[in-house]
Amino acid sequence: MAFFIETLIGGLMAGMLYSLVALGFVLIFKASGVFNFAQGALVLFAALAMARFAEWLPAWFGIESLALANVLAFLITIAIMFVAALLIERLVLRYLVNQEGATLLMATLGIAYFLEGFGQTVFGSDIYKIDVGMPKDPVLILENVFEGGILINKEDFIAAVIAATLVTLLTLFFQKTATGRALRAVADDHQAAQSIGIPLNRIWVIVWCVAGVVALVAGIIWGSKLGVQFSLATVALRALPVVILGGLTSVPGAIIGGLIIGVGEKLSEVYLGPSIGGGIEIWFAYVLALVFLLFRPQGLFGEKIIDRV
Amino acid sequence: MGRQIGEVILDLKNISLSFGGVKALSDISFDVREHEIRAIIGPNGAGKSSMLNVINGVYRPQQGEIVLRGEHFANMTPARAARAGIARTFQNLALFKGMTVLDNIMAGRNLQMRANLFQQAIWFGPARREELAHRAKVEEIIDFLEIQHIRKVPVGRLPYGLQKRVDLGRALAMEPQILLLDEPMAGMNVEEKQDMCRFILDINDQFGTTIVLIEHDMGVVMDISDRVVVLDYGRKIGDGAPDEVRANPDVIRAYLGTSN
Repeated sequence: MAFFIETLIGGLMAGMLYSLVALGFVLIFKASGVFNFAQGALVLFAALAMARFAEWLPAWFGIESLALANVLAFLITIAIMFVAALLIERLVLRYLVNQEGATLLMATLGIAYFLEGFGQTVFGSDIYKIDVGMPKDPVLILENVFEGGILINKEDFIAAVIAATLVTLLTLFFQKTATGRALRAVADDHQAAQSIGIPLNRIWVIVWCVAGVVALVAGIIWGSKLGVQFSLATVALRALPVVILGGLTSVPGAIIGGLIIGVGEKLSEVYLGPSIGGGIEIWFAYVLALVFLLFRPQGLFGEKIIDRV
Repeated sequence: MGRQIGEVILDLKNISLSFGGVKALSDISFDVREHEIRAIIGPNGAGKSSMLNVINGVYRPQQGEIVLRGEHFANMTPARAARAGIARTFQNLALFKGMTVLDNIMAGRNLQMRANLFQQAIWFGPARREELAHRAKVEEIIDFLEIQHIRKVPVGRLPYGLQKRVDLGRALAMEPQILLLDEPMAGMNVEEKQDMCRFILDINDQFGTTIVLIEHDMGVVMDISDRVVVLDYGRKIGDGAPDEVRANPDVIRAYLGTSN
């Protein structure tokens, strides 16, 4: 029993991180109808900036404290993500208003390549580490309930709490504020949103900015676990099945989808692995996504799209 | 009726619009007076919707200008039009389908909201008070349009006639000076048409809103409009009070065809 719960918790924590990346997709899709292929590149770009500034700042200004260097690097990276959002709107999206979804998708593919290349040119392409002082040691909990207790990784736990907080704040922002409503309005109908005076350009900057911040948080968490390297850009691929599962238009869907996939991966690896040969973790999410595409293509919580012919 | 038709509020001068080689509008001029109901009619493809889209800034005419309360707009945009007090509805509904009726109409108040993003984010004093004040205004509109019973329903699930009403409600929430209605009666049954007529007359009467409406159903328009512009193949062929227009031989020809 203790082992099962341990696996379950491990899965939930991994799932929370998938949710975080998936959330980036959902945010931009909701607000602009664009499937943002550049989300992974945003994660990589943000993580690179964060890692490098945390390294450069102490060297340039003789900052002793690790915490201060990290906070400053974090703020600088947020500023960079804001500028990136501004430029993406200014140079790319502005010219593509009311275009086909496929056109916009291709544009984000271009943005992805650019960000990956530019990021590595400016910040270097080695493996860097982000050290935000997360405790690496595992802890035992519930020792008096189960024999031997449950072993959890403190780092994972903190990461999951951060992710959960961010997700909650974003959900509230979308549902409860006037700007959130404007974002949803733009997502539903560009033309109508413009007619009631919602400034499309500003909304897009806001939403890419938020997606940038989400990417930064995801980048820091994944980066401090795996190191900052090019493969971070492919973390986003792991979030694709999450988005398919949860529905592209649903914030709660991204969260629950992430959790289901996180838990499913771990449980199937541990319990099915021995009988069918292991390595399930790698493909589990994609197979689950395929099944969903067959039977419920709009995902668990997505809106069913009915097009009039 | 208590309303008094006033000065010219919107003046369209020599508007020409073409898409590639196709001339949608050629050299069209007319004006709209404050508090009046002004109709633009014409057979299909006459350029009515194009005209509305020019006023609203969706299309930019190659020639001509828009004068709104004495201010010249060489290039109108939808955002500028909204800020200048022009609201519109759509012929093929453009509602926020995933959102509730209430949220759709609240979105129409977007321009009036002053609290900044940060205040909204922490649901802080001014933002909260503002939201409540706007909510009260929106409830008035909901009462006015008699859609209390569906205020929490996602718009996508409503029947067409009600969606049209929500569309109107969203435009009203902007408290516009000029309301552009794009075929408000299209696709409706007789009863729904009567309701819509009543709402249009009430809006005009109670709020003093100037209304510019497009319709190809001539009967309805003649009953409720003060003045009518008639377009045919992108040209203006008639302009005046409903009775004048009805008697105009060009208009009769455009609508009924002619036997030479």
